[in-house]
Amino acid sequence: MENMNLNKHISGQFNAELDDIRNRVLAMGGLVERQLEQALDALGALDAELAQKVIEGDHKVNGMEVAIDEECTRIIAKRQPAASDLRLVLAISKTITDLERIGDACVKIAKAAMDKRSKNQQPLLVSIENMGRHATRTLHSTLDALARMDADVALELHKEDRKLDSEYEGIIRQLMTYMMADPRSIPEVLDVLWAARAVERVGDRCQNICEYIIYYVKGKDVRHISYEEMEKDLKL
Amino acid sequence: MISIDQSVMKTDMLDLENLTAEQTALEIRNLDLKYGDKQALFDVSMKIPKKKVTAFIGPSGCGKSTLLRCINRMNDLVDNCHIGGEIMLHGQNIYDKRVDVAALRRNVGMVFQRPNPFPKSIYENVVYGLRLQGINNRRELDDAAERSLRGAAIWDEVKDRLHDNAFGLSGGQQQRLVIARAIAIEPEVLLLDEPTSALDPISTLTIEELITDLKSKYTVVIVTHNMQQAARVSDQTAFMYMGELIEYADTNTIFTTPKQKKTEDYITGRYG
Repeated sequence: MENMNLNKHISGQFNAELDDIRNRVLAMGGLVERQLEQALDALGALDAELAQKVIEGDHKVNGMEVAIDEECTRIIAKRQPAASDLRLVLAISKTITDLERIGDACVKIAKAAMDKRSKNQQPLLVSIENMGRHATRTLHSTLDALARMDADVALELHKEDRKLDSEYEGIIRQLMTYMMADPRSIPEVLDVLWAARAVERVGDRCQNICEYIIYYVKGKDVRHISYEEMEKDLKL
Repeated sequence: MISIDQSVMKTDMLDLENLTAEQTALEIRNLDLKYGDKQALFDVSMKIPKKKVTAFIGPSGCGKSTLLRCINRMNDLVDNCHIGGEIMLHGQNIYDKRVDVAALRRNVGMVFQRPNPFPKSIYENVVYGLRLQGINNRRELDDAAERSLRGAAIWDEVKDRLHDNAFGLSGGQQQRLVIARAIAIEPEVLLLDEPTSALDPISTLTIEELITDLKSKYTVVIVTHNMQQAARVSDQTAFMYMGELIEYADTNTIFTTPKQKKTEDYITGRYG
């Protein structure tokens, strides 16, 4: 199953429909990636205008999720896909849910950028921005793996999330120190905390997408198992 | 996050390669078949589990009907047909010279693509096999007729006209009548050779529903051109190609994650 032949259906129309949802999910991924970059830019520069643009842009992400899901439903109803085709449609239908949630995370980050209180916490925001850039790279690579349906890269990326998690823990520790030092800062620090949480969730969503890629390519459901078990499963 | 409660997972798959004798209805061993010089089956081996529905799928001419016909020795009627290997039923090779073919066919019933009722009444169609066995007790025949027609999910539709000619029934009803006739003699195995290919979609669904009911009592083996039908009704699916058994596994596996490239190509419509 390594070399998936995506374009050899007897039905050319079916080929076109599968190609179409693949292209659209990649387009949606591109849009979400841009949203994340802009949200982080807005946070770094506390640019309310850019943040507003990100918030408005989320409607488009939501719209794409609904449209692609409709197309997936239609394909299932009309074509009764099986085997790798079925796994492709399911993987896409799940991927767009996670992409949409990454879109929501972007909105949360943008809102933190717009918050007046955030101005007092600029040093903290910088560490989030760093973590955010890391998350952006992960998202970019995940979308790359999705475009190429590369299970090996997906497996590597899945492991990467640990780094993002430890960065997040570092930020939490830092934020707790601030709160203990000056309880009056708690409301502001909490705002930052939500933004950090949103960035951390982007990594988790990417991890989910990697699991769908592996599911599509290898036909193995690798959710909720350890990396070691996953690796063992995939070697078979 | 790292753990799954296995108890919520559905794992009722049979290990088809290691079925116990208790679980096995039929075992096909290294079956070869030639029509004259042309070999139609190549070294087919498989175990067909008891009281399950097993589907044979594959493109036209792949040997799936041929294989099905081997199970009740229908190919004996074909001139120039040479069979090697064994099909074991109750620990006995059905191709053994001592086997009484009529007795075998009582045990392994068959239903064909086109409904083929006899030009008799509905009632006489159903009890035909019993009469052949010399049963003429009216009460016994009545009971068997009702039981079989109910078993074939057609009793309610014909109970008031049991003595009408069977040709007056619709195609779907005729097919169910033929199934009733097949189960009247209480076989262990029912072979269905494309039983719905001549029927409309609604009759097809009725027959599919019936097939699912039948497996509580019988081992069902079905050949179908309709892949989705195999997916809907069968527990195991065997994919055949050019006379070879390419892949034989749990139906859920075949339709979601087949192991063989040929199977994948066929069921996703890339074959050809």
